[in-house]
Amino acid sequence: MEYQNIFTQIQVRGPVEAGIPLPRGDDERVGRPFYNWLAGWIGNAQIGPVYLGFLGTASLICGTIWFVIVGFNMLASVGWDPIQFIRQLFWLALEPPPAKYGLSIPPLTEGGWYIISSVFLLASVLLWWARIYVRARALGLGTHVFWAFGAAIWLFLVLGLFRPLLMGNWAEAVPYGIFPHLDWTAAFSIRYGNLYYNPFHCLSIVFLYGSVLLFAMHGATILAVTRYGGERELEQITDRGTASERAALFWRWTMGFNATMESIHRWAWWFAVLTPITGGIGILLTGTVVDNWYLWGMKHGIVAPLPDMWPTVVDPAIGG
Amino acid sequence: MALLSFERKYRVRGGTLIGGDLFDFWVGPFYVGFFGLTTAFFAGLGTALMAYGAALGPTWNIWRISIAPPDLSYGLGLAPLAEGGLWQVITICAIGAFVSWALREVEICRKLGIGYHVPFAFGVAIFAYVTLVVFRPMLLGAWGHGFPYGIFSHLDWVSNVGYQYLHFHYNPAHMLAVSLFFTTTLALSLHGGLILSAANPGRDGTLYNNPNEVKTPEYEDTFFRDIIGYSVGTLGIHRLGLVLALNAGFWSAVCIIISGPLWNKGWPEWWNWWLDLPIWS
Amino acid sequence: MKLWIPFAAAGAVFVGAAVLFGADWDFPPIDSTQVGFRGTGMVVTQDRGEQAALRLANVPPPPPYEADPEGDRAGDIYENVQILGHLSDDQFNQFMASITEWVAPEQGCAYCHNEENMASDEVYTKVVSRRMIEMTQHVNEDWQAHVAQTGVTCYTCHRGEPVPANVWSRNLGPGQKGRAVGWRNGQNIVSKEAGNTSLPSNALESYLLEDKAIRVHSLTALPNGTNQTTTKETEETWALMMHMSEGLGVGCVACHNSRAFNDWDQSPPQRVTAWHGIRMARELNQTYMTPLEPVFPANRKGPEGDVLKVSCATCHNGVQKPLYGVSMLQDYVDSLGTKTSTGVPDYNTYVPGETQVLKPAQTSSLEPVSGMGDAEKALASAD
Repeated sequence: MEYQNIFTQIQVRGPVEAGIPLPRGDDERVGRPFYNWLAGWIGNAQIGPVYLGFLGTASLICGTIWFVIVGFNMLASVGWDPIQFIRQLFWLALEPPPAKYGLSIPPLTEGGWYIISSVFLLASVLLWWARIYVRARALGLGTHVFWAFGAAIWLFLVLGLFRPLLMGNWAEAVPYGIFPHLDWTAAFSIRYGNLYYNPFHCLSIVFLYGSVLLFAMHGATILAVTRYGGERELEQITDRGTASERAALFWRWTMGFNATMESIHRWAWWFAVLTPITGGIGILLTGTVVDNWYLWGMKHGIVAPLPDMWPTVVDPAIGG
Repeated sequence: MALLSFERKYRVRGGTLIGGDLFDFWVGPFYVGFFGLTTAFFAGLGTALMAYGAALGPTWNIWRISIAPPDLSYGLGLAPLAEGGLWQVITICAIGAFVSWALREVEICRKLGIGYHVPFAFGVAIFAYVTLVVFRPMLLGAWGHGFPYGIFSHLDWVSNVGYQYLHFHYNPAHMLAVSLFFTTTLALSLHGGLILSAANPGRDGTLYNNPNEVKTPEYEDTFFRDIIGYSVGTLGIHRLGLVLALNAGFWSAVCIIISGPLWNKGWPEWWNWWLDLPIWS
Repeated sequence: MKLWIPFAAAGAVFVGAAVLFGADWDFPPIDSTQVGFRGTGMVVTQDRGEQAALRLANVPPPPPYEADPEGDRAGDIYENVQILGHLSDDQFNQFMASITEWVAPEQGCAYCHNEENMASDEVYTKVVSRRMIEMTQHVNEDWQAHVAQTGVTCYTCHRGEPVPANVWSRNLGPGQKGRAVGWRNGQNIVSKEAGNTSLPSNALESYLLEDKAIRVHSLTALPNGTNQTTTKETEETWALMMHMSEGLGVGCVACHNSRAFNDWDQSPPQRVTAWHGIRMARELNQTYMTPLEPVFPANRKGPEGDVLKVSCATCHNGVQKPLYGVSMLQDYVDSLGTKTSTGVPDYNTYVPGETQVLKPAQTSSLEPVSGMGDAEKALASAD
């Protein structure tokens, strides 16, 4: 069995790469690049430099403010006890305001901090989004990463903005916390009668699993043909070589169909992007258009029939 | 379907694991080989049995068809066909088809002189499936612990098995697996987007609005260094993607096989080890 | 410079060891019980070793001896016997011996009685026990929808402890309400009552003391404006369900097909029993526990000053059928099987160490309850 190219065996050390020159008017990149042996094991060893610029700096500042607001509220929620803060960290959260405040601004004592921090988080995310666009154009690249990030922002906005607006209160937003957001997710499914019967949730999971499947297939295929230079995908796209041909034929012979070196990345992009797009649609419809997904499934004939195991059981509240 | 323009020179004999030249041929675009025949046999039989199971059941509605495993009372024994036996035979067929498919991929890899990464990756997926329908049922002592073969009925199974452990989101391996699923998808979108943006760099926006030149990997590296300070590189991203994807599948298998055989309380209680660490007092 | 590598490695080893050895892992063989139709995943799995240990810990004690139901009635022999006066002398003393073993085996009779004057109500625990015996009678007679013929005794909850192990009181947790930072809406800390999740930590008060609506589902596929239940309220219902599951040592599927949690047609009959259990616990807390608040000293109350209350776990103690369904009541039908009194004394008048007799108001006209003469008589008769 020949070497399967899982790790870089010999790490070459030359002068660090400064990067493609930036257009006039851009800032200087910051940070002195250095080599990291562990990173070089699987990918490039060079770390840095990074371009901060106005958008990056502003985004990081807003994100930090959000992070600090969340963190201090968590700390205060355990009575400013630093030990309990660490111990219960996964359980802590910054909670959205209660439903009684509707879409008005609640007092700080009841969820006001959630609204304030959310404004900063939104600003941070949108600034980062703009930064991706500007950085791509500065290098003369297409804006595909920007649009892909936009799909993720769609889901983020549905959860934290669009759906709360449609439902008429900020209480519908997701708490900022590790376990609390998981509680929210599961309780959300229970409240709306089992999200598994939400067809857009189904689609989103299909694209999520599909994305993982695709990356496994694509990553494995490219690694399998690295002995023919297959990882130089841009060269293979513009000037097809034997690596590309073998990769294509592998799938053609296996399943009767193959992508090309470029089209596999279109498959990849669409699968990944459709995951949050369909997921966001599913969330947006929940509670606004559909109130009980299981009953929706019954209505549309998709629920698997089961024998009546317990014919004597009736709701005791109506049974008297 | 005709051959691809470059295909003929790759269609050489050899590379088979079993059967020598006997099954070394193509049907249309498909390579056959010994394992192609076994794949067809198992897949055909399994599909026919599923159709038979659907015929025995109350519905032909594709969303509602469900072929359920036997009652727990059959333990690790065989059940009558109509009472879970079909599920048992279909499971054998599925494993047979999946393993045959993987071995056929190995033969194709050998024929093309490429690495075995794809069949290995597929092996991880098979491992996850076998964990669900063989390993876990064996550890729990009954085939009835397998999941039913039906589009929505298998989701019902997922739901109920999860809620048996009160709140499955607190299962640490499940947390890890879900994070890996999301991370893999994020990485895939970044990789797909980056390659497409370098191969389709748009127009230059000048008076003539000429198309930009297709970019080189130096641009890819620079873009990601500008954004996050690190670019894993053309080779590294495929290693990273594969590792992330395989771990997503592997930890999914872990998260279900520990539920029951190694843990029977609510998953939130699992975290007691952390809450009770002696360092807090 | 590169110190982080050994530090990270040490941390990883530490966490790995804590996970492997610190978490309470089970090991096969695992016992599984099918609840629903095959393939639905409605299966309760339990670790065989842990179940064996639990069974050993849930063996009810036998009665100390067989009591003779004949002879003079206890009410005629002893003073101030308000609810067990219908028992024979032998039955009465046997019951007193049993309740001592059930509730205060170490402290003995003196835990509830002034040993100089057994008839006196001056020890607060005696007033409480009397009320608790009434509560037990009430459960056995009026809540057979939940306890069936198996019934309950003092031991079902107490298990040889003066305070049952699984009781609860109001839990507001750390952090103060009304402060500008750190509002957490009654959740987002480790909630013991909600199975160690970060779900709302005061759900028992909402559902087992107050009667907040538990049901959250809509009965129509599309919204019709009638169901305003929020996700947060669903979390609180779930916190109650967590408590029930933990208290009974089962998963959600013991009572629900989770594909449609609310659908009674797909629910095992245990859900009906549980439904009555919720109402029973709520009624016991409202009618029996909370009114006793003036009687309890501060050290027998919760941090917020409310009385300790019952939940599902109080009786069940981690077992689906308390004491694995063995009916202790069969040996105490005469004492605990039916209600023997309906009146409730005014607990606000109780003064620990002083009140000699605390009686329901409506019976006070039949018998004299106050005056030095009666107290002296009671003292004399207790000799």
